[in-house]
Amino acid sequence: MRRFHWQIFLLLLLLLPGYCRAAASLEALPEFLRPDPFGGIVTPDQGGARLRSSLYDARHRVVLKGWRDGYVSFQLVVNSPAPAAYSLEVSLADPAHKIQTDLFREWSHFADADKHYYPDALVPVHGPYSSRLPEPDNKIAQQTAQAFWVDVYVPPEAQPGIVSGKARLKCGASTIAVPLQLTVLNRAIPAEDVVTIDHNSYGSSFLAEQYGSAYHRYSGNWFESDQFFRLIHAYHRIYYEHRGIMHQLGYGHAGKVSTEFVPVLWGTGRARHIVDWTLFDRHYGPLLDGTAFASSRRGPRPIPFVYLPINPEWPASYEFWGEPGYEAEFVNVLSEMQRHFREKGWTHTDFEVFFNHKKRYMGFPWDGDEVRFPKDLNYFLEYGRLMKKALPQDSPVHFVMRADVSWDMEQQFKVLKGVVTLWCSSGGILSFYRDAPQALRDRGDVVWYYGGPPTVTENAAAITERPLRAWLWGVNGYVHWLTIAPGDDPWFHFDGGGTVLVYSGERFGLTEPIPSIRLKIQRNCLQDIAVLDSFKNQQPLDSLRSEAAHRFNNSTLDDWWNPRPPLADIPSDQWQGSSIDAAMEHTNKSLAHPGVSAWYNVHEYALQLAGGTK
Amino acid sequence: MKTVYLVSLFLALATLAPSQDNPATTSTMRQEMESVARVGSVMVDGDVCQRIVTPLAKEYMFKVDPHDQWLAGDNYDVDDVSFNITKKTLIRLSHLASFPSDVNLWMPIDGHPGKIQMVIRNKNEMSQFWRWGDLYQDMVPQMETVLKTGQRVTVMDRPGWISVLAPVYNSLGDVVGVIEAVSRAKIDAHENVK
Repeated sequence: MRRFHWQIFLLLLLLLPGYCRAAASLEALPEFLRPDPFGGIVTPDQGGARLRSSLYDARHRVVLKGWRDGYVSFQLVVNSPAPAAYSLEVSLADPAHKIQTDLFREWSHFADADKHYYPDALVPVHGPYSSRLPEPDNKIAQQTAQAFWVDVYVPPEAQPGIVSGKARLKCGASTIAVPLQLTVLNRAIPAEDVVTIDHNSYGSSFLAEQYGSAYHRYSGNWFESDQFFRLIHAYHRIYYEHRGIMHQLGYGHAGKVSTEFVPVLWGTGRARHIVDWTLFDRHYGPLLDGTAFASSRRGPRPIPFVYLPINPEWPASYEFWGEPGYEAEFVNVLSEMQRHFREKGWTHTDFEVFFNHKKRYMGFPWDGDEVRFPKDLNYFLEYGRLMKKALPQDSPVHFVMRADVSWDMEQQFKVLKGVVTLWCSSGGILSFYRDAPQALRDRGDVVWYYGGPPTVTENAAAITERPLRAWLWGVNGYVHWLTIAPGDDPWFHFDGGGTVLVYSGERFGLTEPIPSIRLKIQRNCLQDIAVLDSFKNQQPLDSLRSEAAHRFNNSTLDDWWNPRPPLADIPSDQWQGSSIDAAMEHTNKSLAHPGVSAWYNVHEYALQLAGGTK
Repeated sequence: MKTVYLVSLFLALATLAPSQDNPATTSTMRQEMESVARVGSVMVDGDVCQRIVTPLAKEYMFKVDPHDQWLAGDNYDVDDVSFNITKKTLIRLSHLASFPSDVNLWMPIDGHPGKIQMVIRNKNEMSQFWRWGDLYQDMVPQMETVLKTGQRVTVMDRPGWISVLAPVYNSLGDVVGVIEAVSRAKIDAHENVK
């Protein structure tokens, strides 16, 4: 009889997957070692193995240090060699209840290119989080490890000192506790970033695609619904919370405008005017007065930059280009926009007149984006004239003409001086012109450079190279050209994520976007850069930059620039793309593949400056 | 004088067109698009069209460099005077319809008989044929018919869409291009805003 009971017990153990049969474990990992779902580290991050124990002290406590008004991040990995139910909780015993802990489940994406799993999307969960391994929705056969991202938010009012806590894993009858110790440093991270990180996007149709259930459930015009505008604001908010900004372009290459980006116009020629601001104001009002961010930890603040819908076909009809009617339509409507913005008090934002079209898309006969043929600059000059005519010089509303430049940038810097004041430059070509950023900034222009996010198949620190380069170069910012396009199936057939940094939360029952590991690492990097830069009153900025570059990848500041190539002295319409690549050989070699610990080392430098190293 | 003629013609056609209050039925759309295409054949100047795409753009259009995937696009250029003259005419033609429509210009490519390229698009960004972003594409059979015969062809292959293809003549009497007068029953305000 006893034997019979024992056999039943064994059978139950096998049949009841909720029971934790084998030894589970809980490991803390630094942000730069991304776990795979089988208990290992993803291949690109394995070079940083020495960081594996970096979070632990001699008493096997997880030791964290954080500045006020910022985040400290780490990862927790639940390991169970056999299927098991578990629950995970992270707590910090902050007597003032100011410090907050955000827990995210890491989604493991299967990348088609190399047939490996990479964690990236972060699903917000509340602790204690209960689930099981393998995680049912991630559908990974033989999954033995589930990773979690932990953000510890240290508000500005947090008291400096030590706060203890623990991460606790319950699996079956066993409980594993990992002690945590957070040191809140006295210094606060500057609220203002020294480099602006922009996340660009085009149109709104991506929202209908990625929030298909909401879109299809809605009975009216979803693109005019409160739900739709809330979603747009949520996208801005998630980037803002991660120390970034967002741009959303509202027109196509032949001038088609989507209704939510424009006021309604009526009439032609001198009679053309704005008749309805409703959709425009619903879209932009909360962004331009900052109320869209009222619930954010960073507080309400108007967005600093925004695209206007202005293009060669809006607000003036291209039918009248070069004629008095074009000038009348353009000037009248732009003047009305200025008055409306002024009345609304939208005076903290740079309103960008930006031409994105390329002639290869057959809409217009000149390139607005990345001018190659110098003759096209005449169109910019004409729009500059029209803007001057439309806008009062003493207006508190800031209109700027922005140009995204590559081939011809050096000429454009000269020819369009005083016309274009916001430059978004190809990073590769700007690297030929070391003196340009300072010269442009000295005359009051804003200079960004552009590129794209690294894919998840690059190491975790790769994304930090973009903001660092901006800071080392002395430009104002960096633009990810596209960060909302996850591909057809990011969850099970991932394209690598070279055009996405936030994902739709709809799959997880959420009505808003969710962040990624890369976005979190980028935010933490921006915090460090803001701190590093804040020491420029105590030591020369170039020495701070030099040391950061050295710690990052053993480079010098010179390594971040290319020598001026011979092709820079021939007309840009005679350049070839392959010769540009050749001219970037120096930086390509000297900056290739920063190590996994590259940013960890820079962070340690920032801590050292602030007197907070171990 | 030419302008007066144009305006009169447009006004006459606009009077014939159904008012905006009427539902744009397929037959109405077809009738109007055919009118637009017919007028377009008269008004669009084929000699000007032939000057739009520059020799440089033509030289590079079919070049492939494994080290430079954007070679053809980066060398794409147009003569803006010819482009603007033609585009303005196309825009005015589209005003003949009582509903949103576009009139696009397509042209064959010298030395590449099986290919055709979109040369001018317009503000509603509609076309039944354009593969977004392509500099050129395989010849559309219906366009080949227009180029060979000079006959207008109506295409309604995609549900809810109508395109009327019509010839563009130069001063020698040759058919040198095709205009696509196009509309659709349900306008998608967000398509192609990218």
